Amino acid sequence: MTETANINIDDTTLVEQCRQGDSEATERLIVKYQNRIYNVILKICANADDAAELSQETFVKVIENIDKFEGRSSFYTWLFRIAVNLTLSYCKRSVKLGLKSLDSEADEHGRQGRRTLKEFLSDDSSSDPAAIATNKELCELIKKALMKLDDKQRAVIVLRDIEGMDYAQIARVLDIELGTVKSRLNRGRSNLREIMEAISQ
Amino acid sequence: MKENPNIDELLNSFIDGELSQRQFTEVQRLITHDEQIAQRLRELQKCKILVSSLPGVEAPAWLADEIKTTLERRTLLEPPKRHYEEIQGARHLLIRKVLSAAAMIGLITVLAAVIYTILAPEGVEDKPFAVENLERPRREIGAAEPEVSVVKDIEIERPQPSMAAVVETKDSENVAPVAAVEKSVRFNMRLELESGGLPAVRAFISKAIGDNGLLEREAYLYQMDEGRYAFSCSREVMGLLLDDLENVWDRFDSARLFVETGQEGNEVLIDGVTAEQIGEIINKESFAKRMEVARDIAVLNNMHKLLPGKEIFASIEADKSDLLSIPKPVKPVLTSGNGAIQRAREEIDDSQKVHLTILIIDR
Repeated sequence: MTETANINIDDTTLVEQCRQGDSEATERLIVKYQNRIYNVILKICANADDAAELSQETFVKVIENIDKFEGRSSFYTWLFRIAVNLTLSYCKRSVKLGLKSLDSEADEHGRQGRRTLKEFLSDDSSSDPAAIATNKELCELIKKALMKLDDKQRAVIVLRDIEGMDYAQIARVLDIELGTVKSRLNRGRSNLREIMEAISQ
Repeated sequence: MKENPNIDELLNSFIDGELSQRQFTEVQRLITHDEQIAQRLRELQKCKILVSSLPGVEAPAWLADEIKTTLERRTLLEPPKRHYEEIQGARHLLIRKVLSAAAMIGLITVLAAVIYTILAPEGVEDKPFAVENLERPRREIGAAEPEVSVVKDIEIERPQPSMAAVVETKDSENVAPVAAVEKSVRFNMRLELESGGLPAVRAFISKAIGDNGLLEREAYLYQMDEGRYAFSCSREVMGLLLDDLENVWDRFDSARLFVETGQEGNEVLIDGVTAEQIGEIINKESFAKRMEVARDIAVLNNMHKLLPGKEIFASIEADKSDLLSIPKPVKPVLTSGNGAIQRAREEIDDSQKVHLTILIIDR
């Protein structure tokens, strides 16, 4: 499977082959996007099992409905639209999300993580992404802070800062106006900053 | 720094590289000259770095296989998609079934009509049949029989006589059946006689009227103008008068009889009518029978005029068929005019009264 994924074939060709029932092309599409889809879903829903299930549901839905894909947007946009919509619907239904208090979350991750976060947020600290990524406690605090955001704001931040989409792509994936993307991103980052400051105390 | 949504939005766009060159330069100028804005920019940048620094997570190794398995399972459980040919075949089969059903219904309807025609009660047969223009094609067996026959477009004062009796069939809904109007409608006829020797003809008719006692009772002769005589009398009395008129019938250049059908403005025109034919009509007992005979005679007279050599009419006449073998009313031996009138008056009843208007037209 890994070997087939390395073959560089554009999405349009793969989609066309997939429509014609080419199982190899289907497999290539899955392998090409499964990590990115899983990662985005996981960052939005914050549960590994649910993220895997939602990823699976996303790909099954995409493959089953690939005949209905009209090509008005790119396959990438269509795929992420389905994934994010499924995840946001799941978040609405889920009672597991956003029920824990910040205090209890802060207690779980210890003083070291909170101190690191507080130092990072201070004005004179350095901002080395590699150092952050290796700090497991800090990463958990960031994830928890993300989970305290509104679902829609979190989705915009994840698509922008984790998936790396530009504003226009985010607007197409979420089917919203560009201005709405900007305002959600602005409010989301401001809220996230406040949440992290609160956690770090 | 106090949050300013507009500045924050601009700064976020600056961080994400979503500003135009002009906006980018403007924000750079702001950052350079305003420490608070620069500090806010750093805060937002750190927020972005924190999120984007989160390590990426690979999907579970089993995910792709699980997706394939799910797809295969669903494919097996799904009913097989019908191919285009199968759908077209099913549609074709359905159309054939519908057409077969429609053909069967049509066949049954035709058979029912034929059976009804054969087994219909006699009363239905007695309905007056449609007499149409001779050029009109005959009806097929089993076709719906029109309810009523009516006469159309006969202009009474038309100067030149038409040889064809213009009779047309109409739809039943617009015309009341003849039988229904029989009791309420008088049997009216109008006889138009053309003659070159008008004074002699008038004198003869006046004499015939006098001889048959019609002058003596207003009930019989209710109008006698110049060349116009209107009678309302029994069949017998009318028969006597016609018997006398037959003697001078040769002196008429044309004789046309208009028989009212009971429908306003509709009449049966019998061109070239004879006194015998009039007698045959009035001898029938019912209104419907009289109308039927009148139509038959109209058709026969018309054929007689149209066919070259008049062979058919001659052969029919030679056969002495019922239609043309008109029984002459027995002329009673008159001992006096009063006796004849008295006998006639005793026999008159409304259903058998005949109304005849004779118009003598100078040629």
